[in-house]
Amino acid sequence: MYIMPKSQARALAAALAEEYDLYGPVLREASGEPTFDRVEDPAAIRLEAAIPYNPPKSVVFPQAERVLSYRYDREAKKAVFVRDDLVRPKALVGLRACDLSGLLCLDRFYLGQDYVDEFYRDHRKRMFIVANTCVRPFPQCFCVCTDSGPAPREGFDVALTAAGDDYLVEAGSEKGQALTRRLGLKDAGPGAAARRAAIVDASIASFDGAAMENKAWISRVMNRITTGFISNDVWEYIGDQCFECGACSFVCPTCSCFNVEDIDSREGRTDRVRSWDSCSYEGYTRMAGEHNPRRPVEDRRNKRFFCKLSYSQSKKYLRPGCVGCGRCNRVCPGDIGIANVVTYIRREITKAGAK
Amino acid sequence: MSGANPGAIVTVPAIAVVDEVRDEIEDVRTFYFSFEDPAVGRDFRVKSGQFIMCTVFGAGEFAVSLPFSPENDRPHISVRRVGKVTRALHELRAGDKIGVRGPFGNGFPFESIKGKNVIYVAGGIGLIPLRSSIVHVLQHRPDFGRIILIYGSKSSRELMYRDMIEQWKATEGFETYFTIDRPEPGWTGPVGFVHTMVRPADVPVENTVAFVCGPPLMFNSVIKELLAAGIKDEAIMSTLERHMKCGIGKCQHCAIGRTLVCTDGPVYTYKQIKTLGEQI
Repeated sequence: MYIMPKSQARALAAALAEEYDLYGPVLREASGEPTFDRVEDPAAIRLEAAIPYNPPKSVVFPQAERVLSYRYDREAKKAVFVRDDLVRPKALVGLRACDLSGLLCLDRFYLGQDYVDEFYRDHRKRMFIVANTCVRPFPQCFCVCTDSGPAPREGFDVALTAAGDDYLVEAGSEKGQALTRRLGLKDAGPGAAARRAAIVDASIASFDGAAMENKAWISRVMNRITTGFISNDVWEYIGDQCFECGACSFVCPTCSCFNVEDIDSREGRTDRVRSWDSCSYEGYTRMAGEHNPRRPVEDRRNKRFFCKLSYSQSKKYLRPGCVGCGRCNRVCPGDIGIANVVTYIRREITKAGAK
Repeated sequence: MSGANPGAIVTVPAIAVVDEVRDEIEDVRTFYFSFEDPAVGRDFRVKSGQFIMCTVFGAGEFAVSLPFSPENDRPHISVRRVGKVTRALHELRAGDKIGVRGPFGNGFPFESIKGKNVIYVAGGIGLIPLRSSIVHVLQHRPDFGRIILIYGSKSSRELMYRDMIEQWKATEGFETYFTIDRPEPGWTGPVGFVHTMVRPADVPVENTVAFVCGPPLMFNSVIKELLAAGIKDEAIMSTLERHMKCGIGKCQHCAIGRTLVCTDGPVYTYKQIKTLGEQI
């Protein structure tokens, strides 16, 4: 464990900017809202900003991206595919623990199943991650319920924990170690690990009652969702409140569904573009010829919650698909973010138990 | 049953030439193809029941089952014109190019069903994905018990692979039943829905597997008949279709229950289908 004054964080980002495209939490000029974005000026990064409105997934899985392009000359009967070069070294600075967990979920899903997603792999390789412990929870947070915070545990090159005017700095990789040397960071001394642990414990203790109360319920609800012991009434109640806006999927650090379209561009070139998709959309499962095997809205809602909160899906992520960032709760106009869904199902379980 | 197919073309499609286009039935055409690069063609090994992602240049990509046998059969796809991309495909003529990724999916069992009786039941264009297995099994006739095909369509004009059917009728040791929904002049075969042929065919029950493919209504009636005959649900298999974008388990559009049709399927046993919790 190393220690550096908070004032040196800018130098850390600047050092990374020499080698990497820099990404981090910044404040929107107009609204003051924190977002996670590409950063040109290392000084713009706000390590103490609240959870950014958007997760970092767009860095590895952009909202819309040309993954291939081709030229086809029908007269000459000639076709050529071109694979886009997506490899840019990227540094993610100030990643919160929930978002780091989300990124690891995406890794396991895109890189670790039957096939490797080569486009994702290209984005992900040559990446430097600076994680940031949440020394206090934000109002929407429930990472303590989903085992994904408030402190980062794995997958980072460097992890920061704010301690007074300093950051305690932990190196999680060779690359991270090299950065601490380059910045000339001092060893934090023998009491540092205990000091960090105390800061994390204090953070956990300050999560509000609802998050702590739900802690035990998440696993109970996961059990119910996995085994299917949830009545149709509950799914319908939840489904009835869905506006099919897709916002929950877009702000979710682990939602990874995509659509692919071939779009004609100028000069005889066609771009194969993949873009975010959401299982809440009516057209998600609709096949050519208008046949749609998935029933109306409650069927589709049920799909998302199954993805976030079932054991079979957790096997793919090696953890629950929900990382407790609370973004879906914040953006959902129908009050069916994950935390609320857990509450609805919990209510049903309690009611059934009382009978 | 899942796992990556070794040698599959995963990311950038391989370019193939459409060698011949043949009209099958109304709105359905067969496109014979070969790879531009012969080395790709040599490495392109399929199992019956697998599918590919086919690029129609300028229009997009679609998932399509492979009707040809893994051995000594011309690579082709048979496609109904139904949406934007398949409409564009139907515009193609011999000499045009397409893109191919795959093959993907688990495919029908072959080695593990040797020694068994095999029943095929197909309705309409449901014969397309079954064709690969039928041809493959017939190529290894001595390795199997009774081989039965029950195939029906609305009318004689809507029977797929007419030449192949004539050949099958004449194939010794292959019990075939071809039926159409309503009588028509010149038709001398049986008339009636496909499932009504299951009993007349006197299907074997022990040591038997059944492959079923067709529209949902036909599928459900056939399943009922097969189960009533005593065939177990794990011995009945079908191949499912879904909206697909990637073929490699990432886009998630083809999720049914806790499975993905592209990597866990497209072939499922009826026992699995029952537990998926969704319409097929």
